[in-house]
Amino acid sequence: MKYLRAALARIVGFFTGDRADADLREELQAHLEMATAENIRRGMHPDEARRQAMLAAGGLTAAAESVRDQRGLPWLEGMTADVRYALRTLRRSRVFTAVVVITLALGIGANTAMFTLLRGTLLRPLPNRDGQRLVYLRQSAPGAKEHNVLFSVPELADYRAGSKTLSAIAEFSSSLPFTLVGDDGHPVRVKVGIVSGNYFDVMGLEPVVGRLTNPGDDGPAAAPISVLSYEYWNDHFGGDPHIVGHTIRLNDKVSTIVGVVQPAPHYPEPTDVFVNTVTSPHHLSATMVTGRTHRMSEVFARLAPNSTVDQARVELTRIAAGMFQDHPESYEKAKQFGITVLPLRDALNERASFMFWLLMGAAAFVLLIACANVSNLTLMRGVGREREMHVRAALGAGTARLRRLLLVENLALALIGGAIGVLVAYAGLKLLVAFAAQLSPRAHEIRVDGVVLAVGLATSVLVAIVLSFVPHIGGERTLGTSLAPTGGGRRTTLGRGRQRVQQSLVVAQVAACVVLLSGAGLLVRTLTKLASVETGVRADHVLTLDMPLEGDLLREVMKQPQNFAKYEAVRERVAALPGVQIASLGAAAPLRASIMEMDVKGEGQALAPNQMTPHGAVRSVDPRYFSASAIPLLKGRAFDANDRRGSPLVVILNQAFAKKLFGDVDPIGRRVAMTGDVLRFTPFTGDWRTVVGLVGDTRDHGLDNDPTPTMYEPFAQELIFGATLIARTTSDPSAVQPMIVKAIHDLYPRQLIEHIATVEQIRDETVAPRRLNAMFIASFGALAFVIAMVGIAGVLAFSVSSRTAEIGIRMSLGADSGRVRRMVLSEGGVLLVAGLAVGLSGALFATRLLSGLLFGITAHDPVTLGAVALILTAVGIGACWLPAARAARVDPAVALRAE
Amino acid sequence: MAEKLDVQQGTLALMILKTLDVLGPLHGYGVARRIEETSKNRLTLNYGTLYPALLKLEQEGSIKAEWRQSENNRRAKFYSLTPAGRKQLARETREWNQTADLIAAFLAPRRETP
Repeated sequence: MKYLRAALARIVGFFTGDRADADLREELQAHLEMATAENIRRGMHPDEARRQAMLAAGGLTAAAESVRDQRGLPWLEGMTADVRYALRTLRRSRVFTAVVVITLALGIGANTAMFTLLRGTLLRPLPNRDGQRLVYLRQSAPGAKEHNVLFSVPELADYRAGSKTLSAIAEFSSSLPFTLVGDDGHPVRVKVGIVSGNYFDVMGLEPVVGRLTNPGDDGPAAAPISVLSYEYWNDHFGGDPHIVGHTIRLNDKVSTIVGVVQPAPHYPEPTDVFVNTVTSPHHLSATMVTGRTHRMSEVFARLAPNSTVDQARVELTRIAAGMFQDHPESYEKAKQFGITVLPLRDALNERASFMFWLLMGAAAFVLLIACANVSNLTLMRGVGREREMHVRAALGAGTARLRRLLLVENLALALIGGAIGVLVAYAGLKLLVAFAAQLSPRAHEIRVDGVVLAVGLATSVLVAIVLSFVPHIGGERTLGTSLAPTGGGRRTTLGRGRQRVQQSLVVAQVAACVVLLSGAGLLVRTLTKLASVETGVRADHVLTLDMPLEGDLLREVMKQPQNFAKYEAVRERVAALPGVQIASLGAAAPLRASIMEMDVKGEGQALAPNQMTPHGAVRSVDPRYFSASAIPLLKGRAFDANDRRGSPLVVILNQAFAKKLFGDVDPIGRRVAMTGDVLRFTPFTGDWRTVVGLVGDTRDHGLDNDPTPTMYEPFAQELIFGATLIARTTSDPSAVQPMIVKAIHDLYPRQLIEHIATVEQIRDETVAPRRLNAMFIASFGALAFVIAMVGIAGVLAFSVSSRTAEIGIRMSLGADSGRVRRMVLSEGGVLLVAGLAVGLSGALFATRLLSGLLFGITAHDPVTLGAVALILTAVGIGACWLPAARAARVDPAVALRAE
Repeated sequence: MAEKLDVQQGTLALMILKTLDVLGPLHGYGVARRIEETSKNRLTLNYGTLYPALLKLEQEGSIKAEWRQSENNRRAKFYSLTPAGRKQLARETREWNQTADLIAAFLAPRRETP
């Protein structure tokens, strides 16, 4: 209380200083006069009386000063003076200021940007109510390389019945395609999530308008309803607050909009419209409700009070073990089924977490290098200012006071740098969000907020504090010795200890730079390795576009003859266009993963115990598909016009699948059939089909994955789920594209056209995230590189300029310019080599972190590390050459006279 | 003449409070004179010591100041104890006495012969 009051009085005193000063003068004057009067009364001469009174009481001015210190906030008053002084000094040394500010701006900017990214995606709590109690369940089958097989209705019933650690379990299913017919009658694609009634309650989300779903919306008797996502409501309905009650047509079913949900991260898929199960007839069908292997649901759950994620994991694993035992036919042993429980926040950031922390680390490295560089500059500047510091000390400034002066200067530098850095980060926000969106569904939450600014500020202040303790103050040298003529006059070099510090800073910069460049190099090498991967198709001049069926897919599929006739008509029209060499139809574009994967058995091929049924992609393609995508036919024949509905069933295998099914035996003429429990839930038959051809492999799951085992079926023979048009063009595909689209719409004006892309673009899509990663790390590396090179050149230049006299003496004693140049170069060379050695050993350790991101090379790739070392050496020597050349030009006569 | 002493840290405030308690409202000069006299001139107070101490006590609310006419008809700033200051004086006197007793007791024994 007492201190609070005193503090308050001081703050008041700080502002009322002028008036109080007058008061104080009067009070002191009164004191002096009373003392004088007393002395006179004792019989002194008035002049003497006054003198004695003064002596006894001490100096008036000094007294006033100490009272002033007690009254106000002396450090703040001093600070404003310091700030004015600091800005004046910095204005005088413009180059120094500019270099430091830019260096710090880059360092702080990179860190602010990365922190913004990290905060928006990984650190902020979820917007969901009690988001930390939300978990995502994942069933996987690592034995079959299935990362996520989803859940079936019977499985969920078992978990619901058995679990005590989960208070509620909700379902979300997004695998079915939906079209929405707007007011203009034209169908558009929407991303629909089919949810259980308790979904929003479990997720802890609130409506912005209207209501969300509730358990009354479950079951076949409920009316079809829709809840719009916040983004879709804004983008497509203009945020209409009276949207509730409107109806939309989803796959020919009329659904009433009941509300809009608050903004929240979309996981696992971006979703436009949430609907209840009745909207999707498939989700109420008997096979779906009773089929244990008919897995279509993503599952979210809320932990019961007092339960932990670990407890839930243990409990669900136990329940799962019971299920595996009770239903062995649904859980093939070799597939190693299992269940995991992930906190929702971790699930959201599964892909982002590692990369973002890695980038944050890289940014921290850049800041470290920037700080080292600025420290060096400050150190050099400190030498020139040593005398200034001594003079200040002699005039009564304490060490703390001098430290403060430096701190204020550095604060000014760091804050200006930080402000520019934050602006840079802010400007790069769009790029950042675009990058983050590839890895995290929370990317849209990224923004520069108070916390981010506070961290930017804190970083700047921290940097300033660190920098303030680099230069030496007072200490071993007093003003006397520094001013004494025998003290050597002007001191221009650093003490040995300081020199060591400076050199270590350069070594650290080079080392950190090597680590960053090695990381960047490895990622870039990965890209070049990927670029040279054989995809199995010829990618140039091939345009693809999807023409999906519209409406309830499972009903539309049954209209095979009409669908085939329609697509064939489109194909013929396109094939007749000028510029189109071949037009072909297939279920999916080359290099795009097929949505259909099946277990397939080969006739007469017995499986070894514990061997998995061969599993592969199934694609239906027309006779021209292989020539359009330039997939080589190795054996047998391609499909022809006779392979149609009703004719004997035939297939073509690719090499990978043939090997899986028949080993090295020639597969032509052998028979295969789709198999497995899942066949029951599809409109396909397990009939035997004869292998008529063998074609080359393609990499449909990304360039970094093995070729996909694939079984091709004739497009005309099988059910049609929609078609992809593949057109090989004679000229630039983008020039032909408008004509193709027009041709399709001329025939069928309502036909949806999606995913227009050349095969080159599809190939590129799989590499794009890697390219962004590499770009980010590489730009950090480049930043570090520039800063480090400026650093080493700067230190040498300083060393040369402070040793001009020494060089002059050496030259007058007979050293030629070559020798001097070598001397300076070797000084830099030692630092460079030391930095390289430290950096390379650091890189060997650090790049191991990257091994998951690499392809075709190891984390210790000698080519990359060698190249980095070579480049750094070359540029490093270049950086040393400038100061060395200057040293060699020193004229001994001039140098000595200057002393 | 007795040896001159510097005012010990923390004791000056107590001396000021006691002086104001004994003599009532008083100006800075009066406080200084009184302390010097009481110490038989072993203590001298200069402005630089006295006035910051007065200001500090004022800021802490132990004393208050007002401008009045002095005995020889000058305007002077008179300091007087506040109730809080009175309490502080009582507390610090007690504490100081206890400390003094303790130190005295501690320093009293002569060297014990083993």
